[in-house]
Amino acid sequence: MSADLSAITASGLTKHYGGTTAVNGLDLDVPGGIVYGFLGPNGAGKTTTMRLLTGLIEPTTGDGFVDGVHCTDRAALVDHIGLLPEEPPLYRELTGREQLHFAADLRNVDWSEVEDRALELADALDLTADLDRRIDGYSKGMKQKTAFIQAVQHHPAVVFLDEPTSGLDPRAAKTLRELIVELTAGETTVFLSTHILPVVEEIADRVGVLYDGRLVSEGSPDGLADAGDSEGDLEDAFLELTADAQSAWQ
Amino acid sequence: MTGTDSADSEMLQAAWTLTRTELRTTVRHVSGSARRTVSNGLLLLLAVGVPLLMWGQTTAFGRSAASGPLPIGTLAASYLGVCSAGGYLGFVGGFNQSRVGVVGPLIRTSIPPKSVSIGRFATRTLEGLAVLGPAGLVLLAGVGVGAGGPLVPTLTGIGAVPILALGVVAGRLAGDITRYGNERLQVSLWIRAGLYIAILIVIFVGTQAALRVLVEPESGFDPRSIGALLPGEPVQAYAALAFAPLGASAEVLGGLVFGAIVVGVTLGFVAAIRLETHMLVSDIGADSGGPSIEGTDSVPFGFDRTPSGRIAWRYLLRTRRDPRTLAHLMPVLFGALGMSGTAIDDPNTLLVIGPPGTVIAGAILAGGAFCLNPLGDDQDQLPLLLTSVPTVGPLLRGRMLGGIAIGLGVAIGVGAPLGLVAYSPAFVLGQSLLAVFLTLVAAGTALGLGAAVPKFERREYMSVERAHPSMAITFAFFIGGMVVGAIGFVLLWVALTETLLGGSLFLLGYGVVLGLVAAAGYWYADRRFRALSLDHP
Repeated sequence: MSADLSAITASGLTKHYGGTTAVNGLDLDVPGGIVYGFLGPNGAGKTTTMRLLTGLIEPTTGDGFVDGVHCTDRAALVDHIGLLPEEPPLYRELTGREQLHFAADLRNVDWSEVEDRALELADALDLTADLDRRIDGYSKGMKQKTAFIQAVQHHPAVVFLDEPTSGLDPRAAKTLRELIVELTAGETTVFLSTHILPVVEEIADRVGVLYDGRLVSEGSPDGLADAGDSEGDLEDAFLELTADAQSAWQ
Repeated sequence: MTGTDSADSEMLQAAWTLTRTELRTTVRHVSGSARRTVSNGLLLLLAVGVPLLMWGQTTAFGRSAASGPLPIGTLAASYLGVCSAGGYLGFVGGFNQSRVGVVGPLIRTSIPPKSVSIGRFATRTLEGLAVLGPAGLVLLAGVGVGAGGPLVPTLTGIGAVPILALGVVAGRLAGDITRYGNERLQVSLWIRAGLYIAILIVIFVGTQAALRVLVEPESGFDPRSIGALLPGEPVQAYAALAFAPLGASAEVLGGLVFGAIVVGVTLGFVAAIRLETHMLVSDIGADSGGPSIEGTDSVPFGFDRTPSGRIAWRYLLRTRRDPRTLAHLMPVLFGALGMSGTAIDDPNTLLVIGPPGTVIAGAILAGGAFCLNPLGDDQDQLPLLLTSVPTVGPLLRGRMLGGIAIGLGVAIGVGAPLGLVAYSPAFVLGQSLLAVFLTLVAAGTALGLGAAVPKFERREYMSVERAHPSMAITFAFFIGGMVVGAIGFVLLWVALTETLLGGSLFLLGYGVVLGLVAAAGYWYADRRFRALSLDHP
């Protein structure tokens, strides 16, 4: 994907659950080849948005496109995306290597095509020695690393990461941040949802702040940090933006 | 109030809080879904309906107790039934016990462990009584109608309470001990499963053999023959004690039995609570996954040709490493044991029914292993599966292939050599062809059934917590599989021994019908899961 094209677009994307609106007319335009930090307080609709864009659930109204594919066209979408959800989707009876092999098989990608990349990532994340152990003996961080590798090993155009550094020790978290940045060098777009604002501040090229299902602010991390009255860091700006949104809604 | 009294009171208070909350969540869980409400309603209807079928016997019992000779033998036999029902209820509660679910850490750090044990004991018992209670009330109503007054049913009911309590406590303790042994044994899960199955077979065969010795064949378990059954005499003495106000002669033995029951219930309850508390505190079972296997298996030749073949291999690999993924197939074992009961009288029948039975069991395994809850079983991995495969076809075919591999291993791997002992080579060839066909159609049919009633919620069955297939669908498939398989063998027999043309034509028709059903099952599952989303699992 060329960097000047949009990797993700959404217009009026809405999701209702009964009387609750999880995502409310969301408009997005994420350029290709960047790390897009997706921020928001608990219950803002971040996970629902990721599920909508990855085809895991269908929007009530509105449209979303990922790498030019409509988010409801799941059959076409799978060739363009990788997903690391909040709970690593792994089979506990398999070893890490078997799981990665299985993830390649699911996409009908020959293991030999992705093996080098998967092993490089495992090496970078200090997982190589554990790849032949069963996943039910893994720590939370090891599961997270395995799930990250399986989400990116097939060179997807767009990667969705939900709290990717969750459960990782500081060293592994730092390595993962570096790997995420490296992904964009290969023109992969990373849609990163996290609560850890310093992570976003460090690696995101662009940040969107979601509140109550709506995008209340968007810009570069520096731009957002400088925009508010607080003149502090991104954390201050985030608190100010969500507080403003809260009072505006009330 | 002393300090000990106060501590006991607080412990019981905490246990009651837990029981109340768990019962409330159970009620909300059931009422929160129309399907669950209906299925539990049906269960309750069954609990009331089955005793109604015995209305004639219960009214006759009441009449006899009120005006005829006191039916002490029948009452004693009924009490044995009550004890067995309580035993089942207790055993299931003791054996199927997840470690207080996801809220375990909260409960275990908030109230004393003994409160957790007592609370869960009470919860499971009350949940079970919600089904047994109405059934008992219907039976007692019949007794009351027959007796023409409330005295006989009241005495019958009062006498049943200690017996029920004994059954519940003994069952609970047995369930706890079985679970303790199961979780304590640090051997491979397959060895544990093998041991468990061996124990079941020994119990079954032992019970069958004992019944044949103790009960006269012509008695049909007549209550008059209860005296031949240990502990028939003590139970009759206890029954006489219960009917003493009606004129039955109360003997010393009856009093002793009552005393033994009271002591047994008390000691059993204390032992069960202690054992459960010990398991809770030491967290036995937390690492019960068996020894961790090191090493990666690559996809073997044959399975590596197609995406569905590679997926099938992963299902087989997971099963090889954890046989608990097949826990829902236990009814097949029970069914097989039931059908092979005649072999205790005449072991030669094993050779006659063995080969066809093995083929039918193989076909049932082919469908039952992985196809009865397609994708429900993969609930935790759905985000990966749904964002990785363009269509669900390879996943469904992978499940079919995995099941067929297991099914053929049994149906042909065991069935053919066994068949050669008792039947002609022509029959064994026909049997093997039938086996291939039946395993294939069983997998397709099971997929359709499983897709019709997918289960995505985790629940505990046979002490294994996962998204098990629907019990109704599982039983329907097993029973249907046995009937359909038996028809196939009858047709094969007719074709080979009576009329080749006629039998072959019937077999062809049979094959066409089953093939269409299986194709429809696959087609339906594919269509049903094509639209699968996390919103609408």
